[in-house]
Amino acid sequence: MAAAAIHRITSHLHHKHDDEPPPPKQNAYPGESEEEVMARREEEKQLIADWEDEKRPLEPDQIAIDPAKKIVGHSSKHLRCEDFELIKTLGTGTFARVWLARLAGPKEGDQDKIFALKVLRKPDVIRLKQVEHVRNERNVLAAVAGHPFVTTMIASFQDHDTLYMLLDYCPGGEVFSYLRRARRFNEPTSQFYAAEIVLILEFLHENQGVAYRDLKPENILIDAEGHLKLVDFGFAKKVDNRETYTLCGTPEYLAPEVIRNTGHGCAVDWWAFGILVYEFLVGQPPFWDQNPMKIYEQIVEGKVRYPSAMSPEARDLIGSLCTVDTSKRLGNIKGGAGTVKSHPWFRQIDWDALYHRRIQGPIVPHLRGPADTRNFDEYDPEPADRDPYTRELQEKYDSSFADF
Amino acid sequence: MSLPSDYSNEINSLNREVLKAQPSDVLQFCANFFLRRLESQRAEFLLSQQHSNQKGGGMAESNFPGSNPFGSSTSGTNLSGMHSVEEEDENDVFASPTASSFPPNAMDPNTSRNQASDKSGSSTFGNFGGFSSGSRSQPPSSFPGGAQQQQVNTDSSQSFPNNYNMNRRTSVSAESLNPTSASDDNWTPPHHQKTPDQQARLKAAVSGNFLFSHLDDEQSAQVLGALQEKSLPAKGIKVITQGDVGDYFYVVESGRFDIYVNRSGKLEPGPDGLGNKVGQVGPGGSFGELALMYNAPRAATVMSSEPSTLWALDRVTFRRILMDSAFQRRRMYESFLEEVPLLSSLTPYERSKIADALSTTKFPSNTTIIKEGDVGRAFYILESGTAEVYKRGIDKPVRKYGKGDYFGELALLDDKPRQASVVSSSEVKVAQLGKEGFQRLLGPVEGIMRRNDPSKMEGSAGEGVDPLAQGR
Repeated sequence: MAAAAIHRITSHLHHKHDDEPPPPKQNAYPGESEEEVMARREEEKQLIADWEDEKRPLEPDQIAIDPAKKIVGHSSKHLRCEDFELIKTLGTGTFARVWLARLAGPKEGDQDKIFALKVLRKPDVIRLKQVEHVRNERNVLAAVAGHPFVTTMIASFQDHDTLYMLLDYCPGGEVFSYLRRARRFNEPTSQFYAAEIVLILEFLHENQGVAYRDLKPENILIDAEGHLKLVDFGFAKKVDNRETYTLCGTPEYLAPEVIRNTGHGCAVDWWAFGILVYEFLVGQPPFWDQNPMKIYEQIVEGKVRYPSAMSPEARDLIGSLCTVDTSKRLGNIKGGAGTVKSHPWFRQIDWDALYHRRIQGPIVPHLRGPADTRNFDEYDPEPADRDPYTRELQEKYDSSFADF
Repeated sequence: MSLPSDYSNEINSLNREVLKAQPSDVLQFCANFFLRRLESQRAEFLLSQQHSNQKGGGMAESNFPGSNPFGSSTSGTNLSGMHSVEEEDENDVFASPTASSFPPNAMDPNTSRNQASDKSGSSTFGNFGGFSSGSRSQPPSSFPGGAQQQQVNTDSSQSFPNNYNMNRRTSVSAESLNPTSASDDNWTPPHHQKTPDQQARLKAAVSGNFLFSHLDDEQSAQVLGALQEKSLPAKGIKVITQGDVGDYFYVVESGRFDIYVNRSGKLEPGPDGLGNKVGQVGPGGSFGELALMYNAPRAATVMSSEPSTLWALDRVTFRRILMDSAFQRRRMYESFLEEVPLLSSLTPYERSKIADALSTTKFPSNTTIIKEGDVGRAFYILESGTAEVYKRGIDKPVRKYGKGDYFGELALLDDKPRQASVVSSSEVKVAQLGKEGFQRLLGPVEGIMRRNDPSKMEGSAGEGVDPLAQGR
């Protein structure tokens, strides 16, 4: 039985791995026999396939449990890259590449179970000084896995020189692409997307004590059913009741307190949310200049100008969010996210129905099958030469990656 | 023979919809479902056509016809302050030699030719359907309703400054820094001696820069002290190189510098590698300020045109000075707040919110900070200096206040007149918070005082839990 399983897996290995030496078995639990390891691997693959069937969002109290006990978000010591067939690159960053992937050697009925596999090379992560950010990302994603509007990290794992995060695939692509093609969204569309984002921020801030810190249309994907998924938690940080100081984010979306380096917290997300709503409705953010320093000068001054066609409610919402004084900023004042949810601009939103995905989204991607990638751009193939993960690096850093 | 996979996908998603909606009229539900899919596919098809037309061109300004209510002020015409660089021409694209390099097509006037092709298509897709349409984009005008919505949008006077960069934006981040007092190392900012003259010139040179204008006296003194002299003994020395990583900000003490920009985004080898000369900077001018925020590629090359002297400041030093003083001040506020009995039941989270909202004011000696009989509106903590308390009818001070003492806290509770006057007896710095600010953040103080078991509150507001979210 186990031998048959091995045969099936190896015969389906992606060609990319043909010339590579077999990965070291560092992840297997000591004391497990080869057969037991293979059995556990198969078991995990089955769990993943089963999860993909339903993709059921969890209730807040179900998300809050220890990731090791949750159906999604655990660190797998058995999964390997070879358990997946890498189909196509969906996106690249400076140190990460996201692949469209399916289970290698799928069982009957599992052929169409599609995932996104985020692959990070340890030497690149170290070179670009992103070790801390990558750890934050994995741990925040594990903690929030199961939320209806956050990309689900089904599992994470690693091998000798690479970190992997297995994520759910959002075939709709980035809200950014739709927004640029449409120039701007009308009010109902903007309200719907903004409302799903409010639920995400409410959950991250008030249940998790996490500041997301990089809200923008590029980081919001649309799933097969037309709902949002927030991705890229590289700057997300558990701040709880302490302020933090590292400048990070995207120029047009930075909050004034980040620019002035006076210490910041979850309130930066509410500022960025105001910018986001503005960009939805207008097609570009309120503060802009060719010269980034001029953008920052405008942000610190905090005077938002509205096109005459914008509704008074939308102006009021954006103005209350994009308030330089954090003691007056909507979302940061007493009542937290509740003050945003009860703003008149969201009058028509049924928040409970929204959380349970019972409201139909304005854009439902038309797809030819679950592995359709038409909503993603083409990317260059991965460069062949990689930095080696030397023994020296390994000794210094491998403990930092232990969570994976 | 198996069913076509497209078919299975449609049926599977119909099954999911049926399960979710549990419709009573199944046939109508299925018909609606397929109609929606059809509509969506058609819109999708048109959209992808539109998309392929745009290949090779950024989706930029000429997509957006119409008047521009944003006017010219966003395009950098109000050059002021820091940017004392003299412009050779009116091309405001290079308003500052220190701007980060944006993708060339955002700056390139030639880009417009790429956009000519999208004009025809752009108006068709100005709008997405509403909540319930389920359609992915604006259907063609044969669908009623869609055309109407379209009208609303193109009609409006909304438009764009004609230079917005419509490409994907990259994230930026600076070095991760931890406050000195939170770690073991004992960092103090470097200090380089300067004559009073030099100091005054430096102060004037940075006064127009918003990064410096928010600094208090101590921060300002530390930052100016940290500027380090660099002399450039000859002409033709490159201080910063276009495309390189940026770590330093510079102020010109003496001499003159030329600014060059190569359209390629970086300095190229060869005689023309510098690109065009776009400006010059002389004494009192400055450049490279973006490097004080994060590590962005230099947007220009700056080269000495005669023997010159510069003052240099690096990002980590600058940000650390700001961070350390902010960190220390917050911790000081929090510890002061812990001493106020009225606020003893605040959780650490709430205390940090209040500390965040406290604002500092300086008063010279002999200033009446609060006056007996006035309606109290704010609460004060004495951050430095001394003050005395006077009551009507008593000619001697009834109390003296020093660092860490607080007064006026009853103003948070009610609008009763002040019970006494507080007069500064030296130059003082006070942190203050108004009643309104307090209530906005935490609600009425009465509610906080009514918490009968503060220790329990603290215990239950464990990690990651926003106490504000509880018990609402």
